[in-house]
Amino acid sequence: MPARLHRTLLAASLGALLCGAAAAQSVGYLLAPAHTKVHWEVRHFGTSTQRGWFADVQGSVRLDRNSGRGDVSVSIATASVSSGVAVLDGMLRGNNFLAATDHPTAYFVATGLRFDGERLAEVRGEFTLRGISRPMALRALNFGCRTDAMLQREVCGGDFEAELRRSEFGSTFGLPFVGDTVRLLIAVEGVRE
Amino acid sequence: MYKTLIALAALAAAGLAQAEVSNYSIDPTHTFVTFEAKHFNTSTLRGRFDRKDGAVTLDRAAKSGRAEITIDTSSVNTGVGPLDGHLKSKDFFNVAQSPSISFVGDKFSFEGDKVTAVTGTLTMLGKTLPVTLNASHFNCYNNPLFKREVCGGDFETTIARSQWGMTYGLNFGIPDQVRLLIQIEAVKQ
Repeated sequence: MPARLHRTLLAASLGALLCGAAAAQSVGYLLAPAHTKVHWEVRHFGTSTQRGWFADVQGSVRLDRNSGRGDVSVSIATASVSSGVAVLDGMLRGNNFLAATDHPTAYFVATGLRFDGERLAEVRGEFTLRGISRPMALRALNFGCRTDAMLQREVCGGDFEAELRRSEFGSTFGLPFVGDTVRLLIAVEGVRE
Repeated sequence: MYKTLIALAALAAAGLAQAEVSNYSIDPTHTFVTFEAKHFNTSTLRGRFDRKDGAVTLDRAAKSGRAEITIDTSSVNTGVGPLDGHLKSKDFFNVAQSPSISFVGDKFSFEGDKVTAVTGTLTMLGKTLPVTLNASHFNCYNNPLFKREVCGGDFETTIARSQWGMTYGLNFGIPDQVRLLIQIEAVKQ
């Protein structure tokens, strides 16, 4: 084989090896809709906790446990809010709360991850609701990976918790009887791509 | 005789103070039973029952009460259609044979004016067993919409579903422990 072709092949295969190695560090997961949900909790008249969820949540995650880096992006269809009370759902979609017509999507984008060994402990990022973006840190209450028996693939997931003040996103209706603090509990499972 | 009259009056007053029974009707828009179970030790599955009713009697002077809540099992809702279908089947709630779950609480624990726990029985799938609901929060307030007193709070308990005969999946990773988070608000009648 001529020397020039040999060097080209060597360069190409080294390049492929290096790129392949770097890509293999970062693993992609697609969030499974049946096991991904954003739950919310708000205090009602300082007495009981009103709960609900957003049924339509989609997203993807890339984790690089060696470098402690990754990407997380989650998008929520605000019209998919579900409280168990149909009339309340209608109010929540309205302009006093989610403003779902003008802002059909709320979303979270990560800016930094913190690992505790193999375990994802925290995801810092930005949450956008009603068109307003604010910093948000998702704290892992639990995180783990398993090989799913049915899918025959790695599934990683957990429960993440965060709090926001809805007034900071422009929703002040009902204060203080309907609380300002909204607790988010994000149950998530992602299937390895 | 004068002293006897005063003594009788005092007794009567004490008796009246004892009979401070108030009846409350559950506000279904602010009363929900949410259940939680770990899914293959990864994420937590949360669902609720959308239809329920009930009544509560409270005697804060005597520190006693009674709560009766009935849940329509066919209203189970996890936000995931196929899962709801499975939960309604014989494998779990067996809705066709067991259309309701009921809780009767007849022992109330108080700390001052606040209810801290309600002990009673939970009837599910034809079995009645004791449970205690612990309050993480309790409060009474004057509701401006109803123009009436509303009492309520957040209660919780964890049950082992197998004790009621719900054993599906225990051998392949569906947990026995189910946490119940109960929001309740009841309007004074």
